[in-house]
Amino acid sequence: MFEFLFKYRPLAFEEGVFAFRPTAATYVATLLVLAAAVVALRTYRQVRANSRPLDRGILTGIRLAVLALLVVCLWRPVLVLSQVEPQQNFLGILVDDSRSMQIADVEGESRADVIGRELGDESPLFSALRDRFAVRLFGFSSRTDRVGSMGELAHDGTRTDVGQALTRAWEELSGVPLSGLVLVTDGADNADGAIEETLLPLQAAGVPVFTVGLGREAYSQDIQISRVDTPRSVLRGAALVVDVVVAQTGYRGERVNLVVEDEGRIVADETVTLPADGEPTTVRVRFTAADAGPRLFTFRIAPQPDEMVTQNNEQNVLIVVEDTAEKVLYFEGEPRWEVKFLRRAVADDENLQLAVLQRTAENKFMRMGVESAEDLVGGFPRTRAELFEYRALILGGIEANHFTPDQLRMIADFVGERGGGLLMLGSRRSFAEGGYAGTPVADVLPVVIPEQAADDESRFFVETAVRPTRPGQTHPATQIAETEQASAARWLELPPITLVNAVRDVKPGATTLLTSDDESLVVLAFQRYGAGKALAFPIQDSWMWQMHVDIDVEDQTHETLWRRLLRWMVDGVPDQVVADVPAERVELDEPLTLGAEVDDANYEEINTSQVSAWITDPDDELFEVPMDWTADRDGEYQASLTPRKEGLYEVRVEATQDGELLGTDTTWVRVAPSDAEYYDSTRRTAFLERIADETGGRFYTADTIDGLADDIQTVGGGVTVIEERDLWDMPAVLLAFLLLVVGEWGYRRARGLA
Amino acid sequence: MRLPVFARAGVTAATVVAVGWATLWAAGHLAPPAGPEPARLAAAVPEVLASASAVPAPPRLAGLARRAAGPPAEQLAGLARRAAGPPAAQRQPIFRRSDIRRSSRGNLNADAREFFFTRAVYNSGYRWSSWATDYPKADRQFLIILERLIDLDAYEAENAVRLDDPNVRRFPFLYALEVGDMYMSEAEAEGLRDYLLAGGFLMIDDFWGTWEWANFESEIRRVLPEHPIVDIPLDHPIFNTVYNIEEIVQVPSIGNAQGGPTWERDGYEPQVKGIFDDDGRLMVIINWNTDIGDAWEWAESPYYPLRYSTYAIEITINIIVYAMSH
Repeated sequence: MFEFLFKYRPLAFEEGVFAFRPTAATYVATLLVLAAAVVALRTYRQVRANSRPLDRGILTGIRLAVLALLVVCLWRPVLVLSQVEPQQNFLGILVDDSRSMQIADVEGESRADVIGRELGDESPLFSALRDRFAVRLFGFSSRTDRVGSMGELAHDGTRTDVGQALTRAWEELSGVPLSGLVLVTDGADNADGAIEETLLPLQAAGVPVFTVGLGREAYSQDIQISRVDTPRSVLRGAALVVDVVVAQTGYRGERVNLVVEDEGRIVADETVTLPADGEPTTVRVRFTAADAGPRLFTFRIAPQPDEMVTQNNEQNVLIVVEDTAEKVLYFEGEPRWEVKFLRRAVADDENLQLAVLQRTAENKFMRMGVESAEDLVGGFPRTRAELFEYRALILGGIEANHFTPDQLRMIADFVGERGGGLLMLGSRRSFAEGGYAGTPVADVLPVVIPEQAADDESRFFVETAVRPTRPGQTHPATQIAETEQASAARWLELPPITLVNAVRDVKPGATTLLTSDDESLVVLAFQRYGAGKALAFPIQDSWMWQMHVDIDVEDQTHETLWRRLLRWMVDGVPDQVVADVPAERVELDEPLTLGAEVDDANYEEINTSQVSAWITDPDDELFEVPMDWTADRDGEYQASLTPRKEGLYEVRVEATQDGELLGTDTTWVRVAPSDAEYYDSTRRTAFLERIADETGGRFYTADTIDGLADDIQTVGGGVTVIEERDLWDMPAVLLAFLLLVVGEWGYRRARGLA
Repeated sequence: MRLPVFARAGVTAATVVAVGWATLWAAGHLAPPAGPEPARLAAAVPEVLASASAVPAPPRLAGLARRAAGPPAEQLAGLARRAAGPPAAQRQPIFRRSDIRRSSRGNLNADAREFFFTRAVYNSGYRWSSWATDYPKADRQFLIILERLIDLDAYEAENAVRLDDPNVRRFPFLYALEVGDMYMSEAEAEGLRDYLLAGGFLMIDDFWGTWEWANFESEIRRVLPEHPIVDIPLDHPIFNTVYNIEEIVQVPSIGNAQGGPTWERDGYEPQVKGIFDDDGRLMVIINWNTDIGDAWEWAESPYYPLRYSTYAIEITINIIVYAMSH
């Protein structure tokens, strides 16, 4: 409409400069018109007839306006424009070639179809562009390639990387006169980099980017599993508690099932009540990693009727299920029932190897569950290397005085530097009663140890039931039943236990998981300390949860508690060599950074070891990739690998120092196309508008795309010419004349003055 | 008119006197008897206390129940001791966890202790209370020695609990002897079974010869019919936990310790047998044809050979430490 009335597109008026181009005749004509105006004024003043002054004023005004318009036209108004010279300039058209283009979200038509219709080889727009520019076509997804025609695009890319596409096109066209770049996409960019850096060279060179947004801004009906938070590796048999973020539109309040599969076997099935449109909800699912090895877990919500995008109802995650026996050392200062029942509780857990060192008399120790005859033969470890072999340490009733100052320091370092887990059990010889106040171990523990211990004459003793705190109800270490609710309820049913340590306060930053019935005493608390974690469990008879008459003989609560607790303690405790691959999945041909952290037996970083990654590719071919110290951080090594096959890659990092093996660590990475294209795949208008705004281009949708060719010609860069465009012959001017004249006539008729 | 009034007053007075006398009589008979039959009391009182503290009632209720049932065990023991002399007094059980809401600054007491040398109180038929043999002198003497030899937080006094008392589950170590005369009630057999399967440990001592063995075997079959009794070889770790025991010694009773044969009845050869659970963990250790308890009881006697008491103490310490760690 605008273009019909005003001859040119609005952009021409925005960009152009308004000017008059009068000639000598113009001045004469102007004088004549002014004379006519004077005559008209006088005539209107004299004529009386039956008119009121108001009528005369209006009629005079109309007549003068007609004459004024005439004068403006006589002065020959023009729009001065800098126009791109036809066929002298290049235009890059970048078309999204990713899978999200296949989503048919606008009246059953896919985004790729819209591209074909509006910008296909035969379309008027494309012809217009080709007439004016030397067009260069690019298809982009995770990479960007030149294509001959739109028909070559398959729309099967697994990622959208807008920044990379713009950079690549700019690099290719920077040597030629470039009018601009046209970016045709849904804007659902899922690359990591920020777009600002890409736009800087374009801004500097004055290359406008015209963005064409495809698809809908919001789906009317869709369910999406937005995020799944899982650990990269777990111990076999571990009970996983995984948060799954679910978003939806159009299915508010409906109940759907979230299913978790372990390589095709259903391991969890959780009913989810869908939240309000656009509001993500977090669903907590619990399942057990029963089989060892690299396992692909699938989180899925079955597609619902009329759902627009069904590919985003599923997420796959590779979790490495480790089948190792994690070494835990339990040091007990005297024969105690906890030893018997704790050993029994974890005896059947193949992934926990509990070594017990128990003092039976002064300097007389009993060893149980040790690996070799030499282990712990001299009592509690005296060297770091000896202690740091374990991943968790439980201190039972052993007084601080038993340790040398160096050993106490070592225990603190076991948590802080080695990253191990420490748990102190309650007894008459632990916490304040064991003289731990002021020791390095007290610094590590999550609870405040008062200087003044209850002395023997006034022994502290409390028998109390236990209650989980809010964090304790959901924490993996305190899950003693199948569901969260059942676990919380079970805690309240358990028989009372006793405490002889008055542990009332936790340190800032520590989390209390269990308290006494009246919440005055800490029963279980933890905190992260340095690289590891420390727990305080100041009860002296957790075995009552096994032996008490209220506990069924077959009951597994006590076993479950200790297994979960110890598994949580050893979870994530690093070895000397830790392989680190940042992503569990990469694209084919996408470079992958392999990292490793290497420590010596004292867990001090080494920069001089020989580190190699042994890669087993999906065809079982083994090859070595040497890794180098990064020089950025101590003990950090890196190498790069570009996978050329789809499937599972095993990465075994091996570090040696002076010919001696420091350790190995194995991880897996899968090379597979991602489904990322189907997540958050609605059109991102704001993102595309920003690109256009910052580079001086314009944003279009499928409905407004027609003016693209003219706009580029108006605002584009490259080789341009100055053009003057007449404005006097705009249909709007004629229309104004007609309106004024017909208006005057009409007014007269209405007032009976004709 | 006057006569009925006097008669009525007389009857009333007589009734009051009779009721008062009956009450006193009953009180006298329920109080701990002295001397000859100590066992009956010991078996009776735990029953009363057990009913009060069997189920972990809410704290206040437990306190009420305790008041209703009588003074706490230790006080009762003290009273009884004054009334009836030491042996009877010491047969009261100690319930270390029944007294829930006491002041946390209470006196040194049994509550916080780790280990209780606990005797299993069982029904021994019509003859006598065989469970109380050597009780409590043997227990006390053993505990004194135990305290000196190993670093164990043990309660200094004896502790006896009936097998059908739910509180037995608070004490994961039980000592039972003279099981040739053991005739458990159904409730006791059931209580012992659950106790052992939950993780409790039972040490059997002081029974001799085939006849007593047969009785014990038939009794323990009622408790654990599915678990066989097997020999424990000398290379089993229980013989090395604290002390290295190289031979199984026949520990004679005080009467046979002065020379001559050490055996009783036809129990010529001492044996150590055991019952293991499905996971191969020792639940019951059986010392047959030996009287370890007598060796504790007479350890202070110059007439009791040191060889026997040393062995008795060593093997018991080994058994206790093993039971507390395996």
